[in-house]
Amino acid sequence: MLALLFSFIPLAKSFIGSFLTISQSGKVLGFAGISNYATLLSNQAFLSSVLNTLRFVIFFLPLNTFLTLLAAALTRKKHRANAVFEFIFLTPLAFSLSALALVFKELFRGRVSVINRLFGLSFQWLDEPGPAMAVLVIFGVFLDFALDYILLVSAFRSTDRSIIEAAEIDGAAGCRLFFQIELPSIRNMFLITVFMALKDAVLISAPVMVLTEGGPFRSTETVMYYYYLEAFRSGNRAAETTIAVMMVLFSIAVMSLTSRRRRDV
Amino acid sequence: MKKAIIVLTILLSAAGIYAGGSTEDDSVVTIWHSNSGALGTAFDEIVAEFNSTIGAEKGIEIEAIYQGAANDVLTKVKAAAAVDTSTLPDIAQLDATAALDMMNSDYLVLPSVLGIDTSSIMPSALESLMSERGLLAIPFNASSLLFYYNKTLFDSLGLEAPATLDEFTEIAPLLGETDANGNVTRYAFAGVPATYELGAFIGAQNGLSYMVDEENGHTGTPRKVLFEEEGTFAEFLTHWKKLYDTGYLNNITSGVSTEFAAGRTATMLASSSNLSTVINTVGGRFEVGTAFVPKTNEEATGGVNIGGGAMFSFTESENARIVLEYLISEDVQLEWAEKTGYMPVNTGLYDNAEYQEFLDGNPQFRVAMEQTASSNPKVTGVWIPSAYQIYYSFQSEIRNVTENGKSIEAAVHDMAATVQNALDEYAAQNIV
Repeated sequence: MLALLFSFIPLAKSFIGSFLTISQSGKVLGFAGISNYATLLSNQAFLSSVLNTLRFVIFFLPLNTFLTLLAAALTRKKHRANAVFEFIFLTPLAFSLSALALVFKELFRGRVSVINRLFGLSFQWLDEPGPAMAVLVIFGVFLDFALDYILLVSAFRSTDRSIIEAAEIDGAAGCRLFFQIELPSIRNMFLITVFMALKDAVLISAPVMVLTEGGPFRSTETVMYYYYLEAFRSGNRAAETTIAVMMVLFSIAVMSLTSRRRRDV
Repeated sequence: MKKAIIVLTILLSAAGIYAGGSTEDDSVVTIWHSNSGALGTAFDEIVAEFNSTIGAEKGIEIEAIYQGAANDVLTKVKAAAAVDTSTLPDIAQLDATAALDMMNSDYLVLPSVLGIDTSSIMPSALESLMSERGLLAIPFNASSLLFYYNKTLFDSLGLEAPATLDEFTEIAPLLGETDANGNVTRYAFAGVPATYELGAFIGAQNGLSYMVDEENGHTGTPRKVLFEEEGTFAEFLTHWKKLYDTGYLNNITSGVSTEFAAGRTATMLASSSNLSTVINTVGGRFEVGTAFVPKTNEEATGGVNIGGGAMFSFTESENARIVLEYLISEDVQLEWAEKTGYMPVNTGLYDNAEYQEFLDGNPQFRVAMEQTASSNPKVTGVWIPSAYQIYYSFQSEIRNVTENGKSIEAAVHDMAATVQNALDEYAAQNIV
């Protein structure tokens, strides 16, 4: 019932609305056909936001996957020293996103920023397109790290010990044991973290809002941030409904792709 | 849309909680405002004063609710109005980006309907809110674009603040500084002009120029871009490119005041309302000077437009009128100006001894007042839809011209197309 109320009805409304011309106050002015989509797809700012989102995903997803997996793998055994690492890795969870974003903003502010002084760099992090995207990626990893880490570590630890012991008796050790026995045994959880990260990456908007506001020069304006600006700030109903519909279609596409893959395995 | 529903539900329930007071009990006047930090404190004091004096006498209570930055207040007002106009506050403090939406809304109650006497309000502040429907709102916190410079540095070089962009280009190499490795350690200027700055750089040309028709959207919903055929944006870019080519213009879009306070740029453009904050951030490391915004060329005599915020009303009530008249009264405007650096909108203060004394003690504040006094009041902020996208587009095109070798003609054309598209889209969606 709740799902119907909060999910399907608005979705259907958006879908129908995306083919209509609707005024800011919600009045239907006429049938627009596919012109809303045509306008959006010919809009340079929208296209660049798609590219920016893609760029973010390409950098963020592998980096996030690699780092969380590495950290989880290194600390997967229950051990006193590992408890310290666990504590460190999990602290980001204790802070709110916007508070962290403000801290990041301060750390990377200007050429005299804390980060530059620490590492002897001279980037104007948030004012150069490349570095600004890098800050966003670093921040994204920072945000997702803790949760992904918990999931992976607990998956490692809940693996049936007998399988690992059997493999050890058979002479498997080190890398081989890890890649051929332990990693495959957490495959499901691993995929879950990857897709959660993918979802976060494609839908990223709040960190952009606080950290860069899409700048400099639109280089970090992601699809969802563009959507936010058009739908909420400008009250553009055409952009609002069409982007919403396209994002839902995109998620359905990804979901069906992955569920087919799982069936194959 | 999913998000919209959730946000609206939260807003609705939140609004329901305090709207209860304003609908059932007419003695409470709710104000959604955007004043935080020092501004928030000053505003709260003004509200408290009302509640303990006039309010107590007449049985009116102001309930001031901070709703985030001015554009957040607008977002919330629009969301509330979309659900049910009874969830709207009595009064909301909004800025110029709200004007177009408010002009086309059916829930705005005009000051003329409330019967507010506006004869004592600064003419250019009134002009900045004048629309085809008449005055939209009551100016409360007026500010304008201002040129900030490192006075200590200028004095040591024997320089004056530049009056035109060409003069600026001449002195930029003197203001800038490069280390032994050829890295610029101090720029002459930092920042990339956007809609706000161009309001002055374009608006002032030939005494008065508009970016879009209908007097920048004030006399009706704008339908046509003017800065391309009138050549005003190209004129600005020509002079700006020369300034950039000195090598001492830093194209950054954030943290400009930080760079200024750190002495890494000799000048910047910012709202006059930032003056107190800038002086505090600099903290006496050097003397902060303020001057008129450099003119695009000799003929650009229009000056600057009034920006800042105004009080938009959504209830036709005697109490709202009393509150609004209180907010623009001499005493309140004096207190507000002294505590925040905003220009007082009440002309009665211009010969008020206490205010003059304040200006004598803080000469940097006087510059904004003088600049406004010498500006053409018809130079007004532009009211356009998709304001955020257009803002970023201006910056991108200026960067394309200065850094990436894009021709001025192509940049102006692309920019005009972006704005024209936004105007067309808005017209298609909102004009029956």
